[in-house]
Amino acid sequence: MKPYPPKRALNFLRWFCREDYIEEIEGDLTELFEKEHHHDPRKAKRKFLWNVIRYLRPRFIKAFKVSSGTPKPAAMFRHNILISYRSFLRYKSSFLINLIGLSSGLACTLFIYLWVNDELQMDRFHENGDRLYQVLEHRQQADRIWTAESTPGPLAEALAADMPAVEKSLVVGRMFNTTLSMAEQNVRADGKFVGKEFLTMFSFKLLQGDKNTALDGKTGIVITEALAQRLFGTTENVMGKMVDLNHETQFIVTGILQNVPARSSQQFEFLLPIEKFMEDRPGLLSWGNTGPYTYLLLKPGTDVQAFNQQIADYIKRKTEGNVTYRTPFIVHYPSLYLYGKYESGVQSGGRITYVKLFSIIAIFIVVIACINFMNLSTARASRRLKEVGIKKAVGAGRRSLVYQHLSEAILLSFLSLVIALGLVVVFLPQFNYITSKQLSLELDLSFILALVSATALTGMLAGSYPALYLSGFNPSAILKGKFSSAAGEVWARKGLVVFQFALSVIFIVSVVVVYKQIEFIQSKSLGYNKENIIYFEREGRTGNADNLDSFLAGVRNIPGVTGASTTQHDMTGHNSGTSGVEWEGKDPDNKTEFENITVGYDMMEILGIDVTQGRAFSRNYPADTARIIFNEAAIAFMGLKDPVGKVVKLWGETMEIVGVARNFNFESLHETIRPVFFRLKPNATYLIMAKLEAGNEKEALARLGSFYEKYNPGFTFDYRFLDAEYQAQYAAEQRVASLSRYFACLAILISCLGLFGLAAFTAERRQKEIGIRKALGAGELGIVFLLSGEFTRIVFVAIVIALPASYLLSSYWLQNFAYRITLEWWYFLFAGFMALAVAALTVATQAVKAASRNPTQTLKTD
Amino acid sequence: MKDQSLGEFEELVLLMVAALHDEAYGVAILESLEAKLEKKVNISAIHVALKRLEEKGFVQSRFGGITQDRGGRRKKFYVITAIGKRILDHQYAIRTSIYNQIPKISFS
Repeated sequence: MKPYPPKRALNFLRWFCREDYIEEIEGDLTELFEKEHHHDPRKAKRKFLWNVIRYLRPRFIKAFKVSSGTPKPAAMFRHNILISYRSFLRYKSSFLINLIGLSSGLACTLFIYLWVNDELQMDRFHENGDRLYQVLEHRQQADRIWTAESTPGPLAEALAADMPAVEKSLVVGRMFNTTLSMAEQNVRADGKFVGKEFLTMFSFKLLQGDKNTALDGKTGIVITEALAQRLFGTTENVMGKMVDLNHETQFIVTGILQNVPARSSQQFEFLLPIEKFMEDRPGLLSWGNTGPYTYLLLKPGTDVQAFNQQIADYIKRKTEGNVTYRTPFIVHYPSLYLYGKYESGVQSGGRITYVKLFSIIAIFIVVIACINFMNLSTARASRRLKEVGIKKAVGAGRRSLVYQHLSEAILLSFLSLVIALGLVVVFLPQFNYITSKQLSLELDLSFILALVSATALTGMLAGSYPALYLSGFNPSAILKGKFSSAAGEVWARKGLVVFQFALSVIFIVSVVVVYKQIEFIQSKSLGYNKENIIYFEREGRTGNADNLDSFLAGVRNIPGVTGASTTQHDMTGHNSGTSGVEWEGKDPDNKTEFENITVGYDMMEILGIDVTQGRAFSRNYPADTARIIFNEAAIAFMGLKDPVGKVVKLWGETMEIVGVARNFNFESLHETIRPVFFRLKPNATYLIMAKLEAGNEKEALARLGSFYEKYNPGFTFDYRFLDAEYQAQYAAEQRVASLSRYFACLAILISCLGLFGLAAFTAERRQKEIGIRKALGAGELGIVFLLSGEFTRIVFVAIVIALPASYLLSSYWLQNFAYRITLEWWYFLFAGFMALAVAALTVATQAVKAASRNPTQTLKTD
Repeated sequence: MKDQSLGEFEELVLLMVAALHDEAYGVAILESLEAKLEKKVNISAIHVALKRLEEKGFVQSRFGGITQDRGGRRKKFYVITAIGKRILDHQYAIRTSIYNQIPKISFS
């Protein structure tokens, strides 16, 4: 047996020594060792080690970077690009499939990125953003905790005085829409009454005027540039001019604001000092009432939790223990946009849910597109095996092959990125329309960086598996043609298709469920009739109690108008509530709020609200102003039997129950029906509702408009349709519905592209087999079934996996609604059938093509 | 050719490569030199010299065939190039001419 040099020393030598020298040096050292070994084995070993150590000098040590034997990286890169280009040209179909799949996937991700980024940026532009807080209140009701934004009017000032942590505080009234006029120019605009710190606490940019004093006093008005343009036709020399509000009060322009950025959740066109507003409404100064919003600017480093603990019983203290059911607390104002939903007094998501949902969808769509790439590359591996084999045989290392295939994938993904950017530019207006946003593609450095790294990552994700897979083959086996895919690889490929289709099925089910729920919302009988009803504000002469009856009579006389009345409730959401209802046997601690619907005569008839017991308000009974009507939910809540004729107290006054109204949904269908009372007090209303005859609304509206403008000069007739406002409550759901429709189509499209590629490939590989089968007499139909069967099974497995997942997901989403559809079995059947049909169709086209080929042609070759 | 100089040990190795002609590889050179000089030489020194000579273009190398010896590693054979020969001649000429200038004085 030959003596063998000490292993460790040898390995050490091999580790540090340059590759191009090792052969010679190791050979010489081994020869010396072998010679020495005859005389003295131990000395030979020692000497060998010593000799190895003597080679530890720069000349013999490996270079740290690429050793001089391999080609320059730039040259390799050029080579890789060339090879990729050739393979794109040669396999056009798979190239196109990958390109279309990846680019639409990336485009979709880009859209979602833009949207998510915009959502995350909402309200983040305020300079003091980290210290801005809004005060909310938890209100303990009999059946739930209701979290409200409205606060007592004096709260802002009191907190600033009592709490040392408060640097500034601000009270802001609700948004309202009114008529502003300058000389003959009448303009309707949205605005609000705000405290004087509004412009110093929030960072809305004042172009003209002083932000510290613009809202001081009671007579200033701050308007936006756009409103100045509408009112005056210019923004020059507008300061100091007079503006009429509602043709009643005059204000002097004390500031011009830059238009409110789209990334602000507060949108308004003018600001008025709240002092005047509060003065006119002494009720707002009571701690028992709530209405305006309260914002705080806290001192740096304030502990929010401790602050909340300190103010938890603030309302109780201020009302000397009378009001115990309201707990104020503060939340970070810029976060409120995304985390605005409270359930039972606990933060429970909000818009962030959709942000997360869409981010996940974006990732899934890219993953589906990447799976196509992986599947097609590995399936087509056999075509490129010769290339890989030859490269390996002439000495290409595994690493350089991995680089080659990765760079091919990355090249493809960058090509897709270019197309995706084009798609985004083309479809951005449409996307903005759906999402009602003003997104734009701003190519700043950080965005480009994110884009490039995301694309590179996509390329790596898509290319990693094929690269590792292709480079791992044994060259001699490949070149001898002994290649066959192992069972594991086929399984992996099938698994990826299953994953793709499972996601597609989940998407389809969600689309169906969301669509059905929206349809349900639109068609659900609400208990009142919202069709053909318009409403508009009482203002100017119509706001005056003396003119109301004559105005309403005039409106009723217009042909095409079937009824008109007044109300204080717009029927789309919570308007005003009170806990001031008392009945026999009421628990004194029960502070549940009843919705207050103050109406004029005929209002319940116009809305088509059924009265199940007793009667509605009527002109025949002058005493009806002291009577009250409850809905069934309220009667049930109070536990009254035979309610008609019984007496309750409203704000201390005795009211006789005259009727019971059938339950109707006045809030969005997310909520169950809460207790409601109607009272008759035409002067305490502020909306006029009119019902139009179906079929000729247009003419009636035109006549109504001219009557209104004659009756109420200086005011524009600005009406809204009740059913349109009702729909607006579900804007978020509608958005989800239309977006998920697009995403589902895209997911299906990309998945089918992949399946199409795989089917085409299988058909091609099996063409000899098909030829032989046909030569032996197999029919075309049989062959189509043979080829489609395999894929249909895969898709079937995907459906079986996806259905339970989609069931869970859709029932989770539906829990947001108090009134919801039940999940029917056919939704799932439909989704499964759709996926199966689309997949079968995709595969069948390829199968038919393969089956109809003449066997002489397929068998002749090779 | 940037460096035409030749160190003393390099010159010895180059001479030996020339002398061994087609049979010059690491161990052979080492053994012949040790025999001539009658002292121990380290193999790494020989390799350093050979690499330098090759960089300067004085020798060329090629691999021999694979054998069972040397752990399956091939020998690397060196031959002197024309430039190598010329520089040896040049060196030799300088030394001889200087040597010839030594006055004929008896040293005995």
